[in-house]
Amino acid sequence: MEFFTVSLINGTIYGLLLFMVSAGLTLIFGMMGVLNFAHTSFYMVGAYLAYSLQKVIGFWPAIIVAPVIVGFLGVMVERYFLRRVHKHGHAHELLLTFGLSFIIAEVIKLFFGNYPVNYQVPTALSFPAFRLFGTDYPFYRLMMGVISLLMFGAIYLLLSRTRIGIVVRSAIYRPAMAETLGHNVPLVFMGVFGVGAALAGLAGAIAGAFYTTNPNMALELGVLVFVVVVIGGLGSLEGAMLSSILIGLISSFAVGIDLSAADLLGYLGAGDWAQQVGGLLMLKVSSLAATIPFALMLVVLLVRPSGLMGEKE
Amino acid sequence: MNKPLNHSLQASLSAGSAGAHRGGAERLYLRLLLAAVLLLLVALPGLLSQALVNAAIQMLIGALFASAFNVLAGQGGMLSFGHAAYFGIGAFATLHAMNALSGEGLLPTPLMPVFGALGGAALGLVAGWFSTQRSGVYFSMITLALAELLHALAPHLKSTFGGEGGVSSMRMPAWGISFGNPSEVYYLTLVWVVGSLALLYFFSRTPLGRLTLGLRENAHRLKFLGYNVHVLRVLVFMISAMFAGIAGGLLAMNNEAANYVLFDVRLSSEVVLNAYIGGVGVFFGPALGAAVMTFFGYAVSDLTRSWLLYQGIIFVAVMMFMPSGLSGIFSWWKSSKHDSAVLLRHVLGWSIGTVLCAAATVFTVELLQRALGADYQSLLVPGQVWPGIDLFGRTWLPGAVLTWIVPLVLVMAGGLALRRTSRAWAVLNEQEAA
Amino acid sequence: MSAGANKIALSLREVHKSFGEAHIIRGVSLDLSEGERHAFIGPNGAGKSTLFHLISGQFKPSSGEILLGQQPIGGLAAERINRLGLARSFQITNIFPKLSVYENLRLGVMQRFGLQYTLWRPVSGFSRVRELTEQLLEQVRLTRHRDTLGGELSYSEQRSLEIGMTLASDPKVLLLDEPMAGMSREETDYTVDLLRELSAGRTLMIVEHDMDVVFSLCDRISVLVYGQVVATGTPEEVRSNAQVQEAYLGTEVNV
Repeated sequence: MEFFTVSLINGTIYGLLLFMVSAGLTLIFGMMGVLNFAHTSFYMVGAYLAYSLQKVIGFWPAIIVAPVIVGFLGVMVERYFLRRVHKHGHAHELLLTFGLSFIIAEVIKLFFGNYPVNYQVPTALSFPAFRLFGTDYPFYRLMMGVISLLMFGAIYLLLSRTRIGIVVRSAIYRPAMAETLGHNVPLVFMGVFGVGAALAGLAGAIAGAFYTTNPNMALELGVLVFVVVVIGGLGSLEGAMLSSILIGLISSFAVGIDLSAADLLGYLGAGDWAQQVGGLLMLKVSSLAATIPFALMLVVLLVRPSGLMGEKE
Repeated sequence: MNKPLNHSLQASLSAGSAGAHRGGAERLYLRLLLAAVLLLLVALPGLLSQALVNAAIQMLIGALFASAFNVLAGQGGMLSFGHAAYFGIGAFATLHAMNALSGEGLLPTPLMPVFGALGGAALGLVAGWFSTQRSGVYFSMITLALAELLHALAPHLKSTFGGEGGVSSMRMPAWGISFGNPSEVYYLTLVWVVGSLALLYFFSRTPLGRLTLGLRENAHRLKFLGYNVHVLRVLVFMISAMFAGIAGGLLAMNNEAANYVLFDVRLSSEVVLNAYIGGVGVFFGPALGAAVMTFFGYAVSDLTRSWLLYQGIIFVAVMMFMPSGLSGIFSWWKSSKHDSAVLLRHVLGWSIGTVLCAAATVFTVELLQRALGADYQSLLVPGQVWPGIDLFGRTWLPGAVLTWIVPLVLVMAGGLALRRTSRAWAVLNEQEAA
Repeated sequence: MSAGANKIALSLREVHKSFGEAHIIRGVSLDLSEGERHAFIGPNGAGKSTLFHLISGQFKPSSGEILLGQQPIGGLAAERINRLGLARSFQITNIFPKLSVYENLRLGVMQRFGLQYTLWRPVSGFSRVRELTEQLLEQVRLTRHRDTLGGELSYSEQRSLEIGMTLASDPKVLLLDEPMAGMSREETDYTVDLLRELSAGRTLMIVEHDMDVVFSLCDRISVLVYGQVVATGTPEEVRSNAQVQEAYLGTEVNV
């Protein structure tokens, strides 16, 4: 019961964090048809910027300033890099973002070294929120979840209730038409890119303190975020939310399950045979926890490539 | 600089199919060039030290890997982000074969890379069957996911992949050769790489090879011309994976060991970078890119810790300003209507500009690298001036304005040279059009 | 007038196609004789392209039968249908832009010899392939553009290439989807002559909006309105059909 509840809460919060990063990615893909490899780099840059700034201006100002800088970086990337190679096609843009993610990672290593930095939750915030089954549940973790929820709410309202939201949505789904109607579609693209990057930066800023902040965080998170976006449906915000929570829960639960396929077969009486075969059957679910999202993505890509809530191909 | 190179990309692609119509003199020239390169490669061990021979082996392996990748990506239009999987499987398959067989007999040591081919082809068949069910970015995502899956699983499958220590073996003597010294391994690698590249070139001339181009250009139309597009894609995938497996096998034979780190995304990224820097429109483009980048990696890795950063910068610069890659320069030169003197002038202008900007970048990066490094930071005393850094034979003070003026001047001069040359080029082409 | 053979080349029997709630093709039945030249006309959205997609294998019919000769082809994969002898062209030019005209045609010709999995000989070694490709080049009058890249041809040259590629597999039945779209009067007349030449001995089904083309080239016409055939017959019969006049041709008919 303890395992279930704790995993549930942890998984949901992790999922919410994933959503903050993947929201921007899925919108950008829906809008420009480009899967931005450098998106999780924005996450990383947000973490490192927050780490550097908090020493100078304090934690809360850093959490606010870092995403803004990252958003600005995103706008620069769209305006001066992506736009230039747009005419060469999607594969080219994909490769460019790939190269940019490479560069960003190396620049981070240049400035901060090829090892984790000591970005920690400030002492003022590292108190327990409540006691759960005898252990303290950290307040900061809850706070991360709450901030993510607030962000989702804000974006949802912005997109569905405001004029800007309507313009953005039309630019995402029918850019040519929106442009014909007189809207400045390139500006919208730049804006969405920037906001998406800022969101990822915010996620990095707050998550970097709780989880580790190291030069590989973009890569580690990167593939997972792609999985989330593909499963949810490229371009769908609701789909991204759904699959983020799903992946978050699966990751949290799987890490605690010490069963293997051999164990399951043992219940059916084929335990000895399974032990003999060995190999894959002996692997525990907990060890494979990292691979489950990939397997899931593969299944989705093969069965329903438009994802849970994406538009049908 | 973009426009002329785009045309040259098309020209070089059509040149492949209209090869019979190239000028006889040009063909002779190319054949002589090829012969000269082969001769150089054969004579290499006599000219270089052992360490450099090792570097040459890596260059050859990289060239084969990039060419194998290109069959799928550049010719077939299917961008694979997980190609290290087939390279790695080839390495492990070869090592296991080396351990299982004694070195002589039907399958002596020199033929071991065959197992790399088999391993690559087998995995390529399975992975290809799944990946090619989708196209475009979905295809790329599947290849990435499959490679990551393998990368995550490999450390757990200790009997196959050997855990942290990996799998190791030894080259057994065969055919009177001990395979003990690097030169012998070099020639083994050379024979396999040249042979494989020849086969790959031949492939591009076969019906399936031409269909590969069709897959890239318009797979939808191929269906309505009577072809089973999925089967074609799987075959192309298999061939690409097979030759990647051979490259992996050659690496295994050279290193006599491999571990699951081979499945890391870094190797998959590297082959993508190398292929596109070299240029995917020309057959020898990716090989050229891999050779150049591997060479630079070797030459420069002792001098700087930021080689990966430079690699990334070169890649992005090529993607933005020379989308046809390094080999695109040759096609551009060949298909241009201006005479060589004019072209040379412009190339010189662009080269000077690029060199100046590169110098500025290198200076800045190297300075930052040292200034931000842990050793230097530990020397800092708060309140005092930052001590000098030794670079390129001089000592620079990070606090001094002069230090930062140098890269600034360099980049401005470089930028100016680039702009002026590009402007002159644009004017020249406008005059032509008028 | 086509040869008086009574053999049916293509047969549609009560073909229906729905996409979800939208019932696009609502019961089309038609028999095409061998050697016939048949035009499909009708207002936009009537379902003409959808019908082509159904016949050529891009879509599966929701119900009904499609037969190529005696062979049922409804729901078969597109490549299978092509190999059984039916080829189609596309309304939006669908060629291989970065390959030469020669290569474009050759890819289609290669299929005739089952060469797709051949790995041991270069394609240049197959002389029959070369001959047939050269022949096709001649037939679509693009010989002087042999080495030009597909994407660099003019629009109407691309349309000719499109037709050439459709012919490459030597099909018994040709489906041409608005082959004259976007052409000038001159280019249209030229293409009509070309089509007359090329469709000799084959069955031709063509979607067209240009009435002059339809009336001069085709033996029979079917009028498709809202997914149903409202009239079939010779050009004269259709022209004088009151329903058709009202729905499509307008009350004043221009010859």
